[in-house]
Amino acid sequence: MKPAPFDYVRPASVGEACRVLAESGGGATVIAGGQTLMPLLNLRMSQPFVLVDINGIPELKGVSRVEGGTRVGPATRQADALEDETLARHLPAFITALGHVGHYQTRNRGTIGGSVALGEPAAEMPATAVSLGATIEITSSARTRSVPADEFYVGPYMTVLEPDELVTGIVYPDWPDGHLVLFREVAQRAGDFALVGLVGALALEGGAITRAGIAWFGMGPTPIRARQAEAALVGASLAGIDAEAVARAAVADTAPFDDHHASAEYRRTVGARIFARALRETLDLRSAA
Amino acid sequence: MNVQAKSVGAVRYVGTRQPRKEDARLLTGRGQFTDDVRMPGMLHIAFVRSAVARGRIVSIDLDAAREMPGVQAIYTQADLAAVPVQMLSFFFTNIESPVTLLADGRVACVGDPIAMVIAESRAQAEDAVSLVEVVVEEETPLVTIADAKTGAPVHPDRDDNIAAEMGDEDALEAIQPLLDGAAHVVSTRIRHQRIAPSPMEGRACAASPDGAEEMTVWMGCQSPHLAARYLAQALGMPTGAIRVVARDVGGGFGLKNIPWREEVAVVVAAKLLRRPVKWIEDRFESLTASSHAREQDVSLSLALDEGGRFQAAWCDYACNNGAWPMGEDANIAVHMFMWPAYKLPAYGFITRGWYTNTMGLGGYRGPWAMESLVRETLLEKAARKIGIDPVELRRRNLVYLTDQPHTSSMGIPVEDITPGECLEKLMANIDYAGFRREQAEARKEGRDLGIGFATYIEPTGSAGSMAPMTGETVQLRIEPTGKVVAMLSTHSQGHGTATTMAQVIAEQLGVAYEDIAVYEGDSAIGAFSPGAAGSRQGVIAGGATWRAAEMLADKVKVVAAHLSNASVETVTIEGGMVHIAGAPEMSRSIREIAEIAYGEPGRLPEGAATGLEAQYRYQPPPMTMTSAAHCCMVEVSAETGFVKILRWISAEDCGTVINPGVVEGQIAGGLAQAIGQVLLEDMPYDARGNPLAATFKDYLMPSISDVPDFEYLHANTPSQTIGGMRGVGEGGAIVGPPTLVNAIADALAPFGEIDELVLPLTPARVLDVIEQRDVSGTRAHLDGADVAAVVEETNPAEVVAPVMAAGIDGDWNMVLKTPMGPQEMVAHFDADGAVVSGYLQAPEGRQDFSGGTLSGSQVKFEMKVEKPMKITLKYDLQFDGDTVSGKCKMGMFGSATVTGERV
Repeated sequence: MKPAPFDYVRPASVGEACRVLAESGGGATVIAGGQTLMPLLNLRMSQPFVLVDINGIPELKGVSRVEGGTRVGPATRQADALEDETLARHLPAFITALGHVGHYQTRNRGTIGGSVALGEPAAEMPATAVSLGATIEITSSARTRSVPADEFYVGPYMTVLEPDELVTGIVYPDWPDGHLVLFREVAQRAGDFALVGLVGALALEGGAITRAGIAWFGMGPTPIRARQAEAALVGASLAGIDAEAVARAAVADTAPFDDHHASAEYRRTVGARIFARALRETLDLRSAA
Repeated sequence: MNVQAKSVGAVRYVGTRQPRKEDARLLTGRGQFTDDVRMPGMLHIAFVRSAVARGRIVSIDLDAAREMPGVQAIYTQADLAAVPVQMLSFFFTNIESPVTLLADGRVACVGDPIAMVIAESRAQAEDAVSLVEVVVEEETPLVTIADAKTGAPVHPDRDDNIAAEMGDEDALEAIQPLLDGAAHVVSTRIRHQRIAPSPMEGRACAASPDGAEEMTVWMGCQSPHLAARYLAQALGMPTGAIRVVARDVGGGFGLKNIPWREEVAVVVAAKLLRRPVKWIEDRFESLTASSHAREQDVSLSLALDEGGRFQAAWCDYACNNGAWPMGEDANIAVHMFMWPAYKLPAYGFITRGWYTNTMGLGGYRGPWAMESLVRETLLEKAARKIGIDPVELRRRNLVYLTDQPHTSSMGIPVEDITPGECLEKLMANIDYAGFRREQAEARKEGRDLGIGFATYIEPTGSAGSMAPMTGETVQLRIEPTGKVVAMLSTHSQGHGTATTMAQVIAEQLGVAYEDIAVYEGDSAIGAFSPGAAGSRQGVIAGGATWRAAEMLADKVKVVAAHLSNASVETVTIEGGMVHIAGAPEMSRSIREIAEIAYGEPGRLPEGAATGLEAQYRYQPPPMTMTSAAHCCMVEVSAETGFVKILRWISAEDCGTVINPGVVEGQIAGGLAQAIGQVLLEDMPYDARGNPLAATFKDYLMPSISDVPDFEYLHANTPSQTIGGMRGVGEGGAIVGPPTLVNAIADALAPFGEIDELVLPLTPARVLDVIEQRDVSGTRAHLDGADVAAVVEETNPAEVVAPVMAAGIDGDWNMVLKTPMGPQEMVAHFDADGAVVSGYLQAPEGRQDFSGGTLSGSQVKFEMKVEKPMKITLKYDLQFDGDTVSGKCKMGMFGSATVTGERV
């Protein structure tokens, strides 16, 4: 379990990093926390010619407030994000989901950008970005662009990111104060990728839902936005919500698969249940408050 | 034997929680593992492994790999063949289907080693491995037991895929009427998944050729002595030429019982290259190419009378041996140990091991554990069906101490087992009725709680009944400094033998625990012993240490008595001081005695040897039984199928407990493996023979959050051994799985029975029971897989044997397939009309028989043997010209097939 030989560069700026990526012609891979990449390198499933270490680029780290939202630097450690007061105040769903990512030890090294950019379909952070309506900021030597999270993922571990591009920020839009967090997952062991899970946010006003953003993880080749459920919820009064019916609508958008840990049927069956339960408990919490 | 009364010193060590002598170095990262071995000029090995499950090797192109930097050599089987090797099973019998170190013209499973690259660094070796081009003409692989029954033989030199077969299908004729006529019959089927043993440290081997013929080998193993003996025998080297050293080893679990293909290949490579070489198995290899374990398909039916008393049972057992098992195995021990703890009048079975194109099977903590899983889960199923409480059902059938001595239906004698007493101790310490009330209340709230029990016995400390299980040797000395040095034949892969043996010495010798240094883990230390295998070291090495320390104490007393002109009976040793009764002024430290014993021989008694040394090799009774009863409480979520373990209580009887912490650590470790087997671990193969759990992302080991805090009760019924210990190494892994399955089944009872237990019980499979539909897809998958099995028996040719015209008189070469390997012998027959006499001649000796019968071409005769146990062998042979075939009924060992031909 030794990686194939590679060159290692540790650029000090985004520009320098992008230049290396461009010059490598697709043969470079970015490393941040290495929690997924290192095993892939050791298994030789990933064999880059150049490893671009972005840990020395200060501008890629940290959390900041931007117009209408919160921007998270991709090289921000998961452990640091979990302790961040700005995120706790503005993005409670993000914090809830992040607490389920890996383990205490892996979060010390793992980064937000690594998790978002990897695109593991059963992981929490890609689905969180999709559900909250985040935008992925992408830069290359040639151009800079922003891609909505729900257009970023195209398949398992596949994104629209080109080989010469670098994720430079993830911007999560603000949700109304007091919005509710929707989160539930089932994983065989603590810290595992989920068999099935969902994450999202609900905003309420005057006893009715005004905004809903919900996404599944572990329910298809990418994080999957529960569009039908969102549509059913927005505008609905709390009294009028049939949690089970919304859950069925949510599952209707999914495309889960069989693996030796769980069947697609299990994922659909349990997915509907945890969706309905999450909805009921979240809304009950609200009505009790 | 009363441990208290045997105590010499006032300070008690046996039975106390001494801090482990091993912990300081292990917990501070200063252990010495095989990968810590660095030798000048040492090279590193990486294996080229097969990516396809079955086929003929068309070509191996090494040219590009040879050009890589750092590469010193690349070997294929053609190169290694320069050193003849005969691989051996755990029983030290020759492996039947010749297993070569590297693939010899064919590959038989994914992960089969094809070539070994030897380079200056491991990374360079792996770089070159990726450039070796192997072309294989692929064939359809056999993956499942059903495949094996119908497919072309995995090994072209064999007629079929049966690696081993024991038991007797015909015995069902006698059992079936008992099943048919019984008040109740319950049946179960268990499909046990394949386990990857996954020790924290994978396999590891470093070999250094020294001098002309000698070899020093560092190896992660369970006994350096056994490994050295294996290597010498397999390589045909003089026994003393190989020294094996194993300091710290990160878990063995049976996987490291014997060296296997890669380790032996490393030694051969060192021989060929004349340089030190090292191979460290990586995690990918450990999961996919280390020997696997379990994978069984077992059916058991049990007849009970109106009162729930067992009447008869029948078992059909199959295990998937893979391509290259560490010994052709039908797991006869499953059947030997299924019933001795219960009163069951009649038992019959058929048991087979099958070859497939998957990684070979090896040992794994409690290799026969299926007996407890299938029996105890069926027992609770019977309890539910008949409407008797599962604890009460056990009480009606268990063999209590008052029922002993007792002999099982298969002839296993038991005289001091205590599963019933453990169960009573367990019940006295839990509020069973209270739990049932709580359970009923919870049901009303829609919460599903369950409680499960299991009782079992386990043969431990095996010695002398099967090769290479033997006694243990302990050498003790008191140094001139007064410090005690112990040289042991033991080995620890986490067992803490240095700790427990030092406790025994401290107690028996009357010295401080801190003043004892224990050396083990080197075949140059102590004498032959199979080390950690079969829960034996505490029993046998413990007894050896116990006696050796007594002998050494006696020596000290003789010297002290002589120096003080006192009688030996007045001498006591305590806290490192030697006292004479009634003469406190004559007290001397052990150090003082030692200085005189070494340095002033003139002051010793007439004829006494100088120094203070003692050596003892202990040969215990052939088997020492351990018993236990466990109980576990769970909550099952009907919403998700998840199982949460609420409590787990163990009541075990391992006789004298040397160190409760070590005993509890052994039980906890076994239970963690049990939890893994029941809920998480799985090494599935796809239809093309690819292992599907190649990393720990997919192979789910239980983590700290999956294992509860266990509670322990110790019953302490001393055994017949010196010291009274009973083995406790494997128990948790044996009794754990049925305990947990039973708790889950109890929680699920209102929804339905687990008709067929398919492990692991994933959340999806739990929902199958709760919702009474195929949520997990298991049924659909298995129904598809079983289709192949329907086409079995492709060769039912019924041969009507003619009357033997040529006669049977004379010598015949015969092979008897026993559970410990094939036994070759020459059989001589003399027929006098219908009466046959003769003898069987084997390397161990010749045995005559008479009174046999000849009927047509059929010969029957009986022969009593003493080894490995007193049994009567009943031969039933069919002669056909110059060939003979038939069966030999071997008492508890079931039936073995016999084949042969005229000399």
